Amino acid sequence: MNLKKVLSPEDIIISLEASSKEEVIKEMVDHLYRRGKIDDREAALRAILEREKKMSTGLEKGVALPHGKCEAVKELVAAIALKREGVDFDSIDGQPAQIFIMTLSPLNRSGPHIQFLAEVTRLLKSKEKREKILQASSQEEVLELFCS
Amino acid sequence: MKVSLSSKRKNFLAFLFLFLSMGGLSLLAKEQTHEMGQKMTLLVLQLALIVITARFFGIIFNRFFHQPRVLGELVAGMAIGPYALGAISLPFLNSPLFPRGEGFLPVTPELYGLAVIASIVLLFMSGLETDLPTFIRFSLVGTAVGVGGVVLSFFLGALIAVLLLPGVDSFISPAALFLGALSTATSVGITARVLNERRKMSSPEGVTILAGAVLDDVLGIVILAVVVGISRVQAGGSEVEWAHIGAIALKAFGFWIICTVLGILSANRLTRGLKWLRSNDAIAGVALGLALFLAGLAEMAGLAMIIGAYIMGLSLSQTDIASELRNRLHGVYNFLVPVFFCVMGMMVNFAAMKGILIFGLIYAAFAIMGKVVGCGVPAYLMGFNLRGAFRVGAGMLPRGEVTLIIAGVGLSAGAIGADLFGVAIVTLLIASIIAPPILVKSFDGGSGLRKESLLKKEERGCRIKLEFPSPHIASFIRNRIIEAFENEEFFVHRLNIEGLIYHIKKEDIFITLQQKQGQIELSTSEENRALVSLIVMEEILALKDLFEAIEKVKRPEVVCEELAVGLLSDEQEKK
Repeated sequence: MNLKKVLSPEDIIISLEASSKEEVIKEMVDHLYRRGKIDDREAALRAILEREKKMSTGLEKGVALPHGKCEAVKELVAAIALKREGVDFDSIDGQPAQIFIMTLSPLNRSGPHIQFLAEVTRLLKSKEKREKILQASSQEEVLELFCS
Repeated sequence: MKVSLSSKRKNFLAFLFLFLSMGGLSLLAKEQTHEMGQKMTLLVLQLALIVITARFFGIIFNRFFHQPRVLGELVAGMAIGPYALGAISLPFLNSPLFPRGEGFLPVTPELYGLAVIASIVLLFMSGLETDLPTFIRFSLVGTAVGVGGVVLSFFLGALIAVLLLPGVDSFISPAALFLGALSTATSVGITARVLNERRKMSSPEGVTILAGAVLDDVLGIVILAVVVGISRVQAGGSEVEWAHIGAIALKAFGFWIICTVLGILSANRLTRGLKWLRSNDAIAGVALGLALFLAGLAEMAGLAMIIGAYIMGLSLSQTDIASELRNRLHGVYNFLVPVFFCVMGMMVNFAAMKGILIFGLIYAAFAIMGKVVGCGVPAYLMGFNLRGAFRVGAGMLPRGEVTLIIAGVGLSAGAIGADLFGVAIVTLLIASIIAPPILVKSFDGGSGLRKESLLKKEERGCRIKLEFPSPHIASFIRNRIIEAFENEEFFVHRLNIEGLIYHIKKEDIFITLQQKQGQIELSTSEENRALVSLIVMEEILALKDLFEAIEKVKRPEVVCEELAVGLLSDEQEKK
């Protein structure tokens, strides 16, 4: 799956200001809203927070995949954010999350949405890749690391 | 506007009426229509008997003799064909149902045409069934097996002709060359059907046999082209022109190699183009059309049509639409393929066998030996054990359409007479009849591979097992998971009716889902583990919502009570 079809350098937040799980989600949703990718900020936020309520999307090794489905988007939208200091995200391994990949997809619409998350997860399996992403200084550099 | 269209239509109809009313033309049309009508009536009646008898014999052979249906279909053809019951004149037709054809073929061109289309569908489906990565992994041994079988069979076939046939004193005499060529071809169709019935199509032996058999057909046709070339030159009293023979051989090999490579390389692009149709039925129809087109191209290049159809199937076999194509074309396959085998059986001329029966039996025995040894030895040398090598050899035994094509060309070229044509039929018959039971029996028992590591490689991957309290809940969740994969644009194909096994495919991602009672197991490669885990995880979480929603609904007993009320009330009482 070609991640560049979904992501552009502007979709990447190189350093998050947020210091809690909820703040991370809000900051990323706001970013997508400002970019004009979301019609309804509140609906998008609600979808992601509801999904988090069922089970945290904080995986292992500092990676979290907050995602949700709502009518606020017409197609799959995604954003990547980094917080080098880490944020408590109720992750499976209890470790703070540093790399966040957010996706929002339309309700009742088929498309390779989970496949996008799976592709990202597969890429982030490599410790070397994760470290390089966290060391990256520009949006383009992060995107290149995700797409290479 | 409506008025104008209507008046145009009236004018057109009036013109059509005048045109059709013209006397001479009408008479000619009537005669042609009558002749065509007769031909079509005969074809339809023939087809009706073939379809019913082939099915009937197939079921009897399968159910009572535990033999593949193919065998029953072949025997059905022999029984009802133009050399047996089919020759009896029927009063309502004033002729036999299967009148003997005028050319070298004992059946009508119309019926033969249907058999040709059936063979194309058969080989297209065989190509689609092929597991390409395994095919490529076994192509080396497939090539060795194919070449080994062809070389030894050709040598033994020609040798028997030189030793036993009067007037044949050298290996380059036309009769020796034709008998050599006749023993080279293998019928992938019969073997493919048996392998399919035993679900061994993707086994190492299965893929080796298919790779070897396809190569055999290619080599058989190339040899045929070369043999015809030599025969014609010799008949003209000139020296053999090697440049001409080389050119024919090069063209045949070139077509095979170029089409296979191009097909495999462009398969994904072709699939994307087909998906633009957005209808699975349309995709299947166009894909079959492309198979027919490539079959025609193969024929034009001097190869058998079936090779083009097989290449098309093989090219699409690894795409995510392969399962869907198999699914959609299954009905066409089930209808046409028994027709092909039945018509093959009809080719058997019992009278022609009489005079040359002993020679035919010796030739058939050597042809069988040539295949079993010629294919088995390379298979053994390349990693199979004795059991596996024998399976490969037995799988290469059946003769079929290519043998018939070679025999027909030899007959029409005058290189062989009706007696040697009969020998070809005897060999085809014996090899094809003894091969399916041998092949079925040979697949009893364990692995046919000497190097067990080859199998272990296949099994590497990950398995995700989910346990549920009851089969009902597992079935519900299985359907949800399948729907989730479909929403992710995957193609889901249920393998058979008896077991709950599904193939889930998209581009190079391949997942198997199996439900056994309350257990669901998903198998895939380690690389795709994240995808499978995430999809299943999201579905299970979505179920949480569903269960919560059900809790909010009225209590089930209240809903049921509402439904039960009024079941016994009378209409009159209501009034």
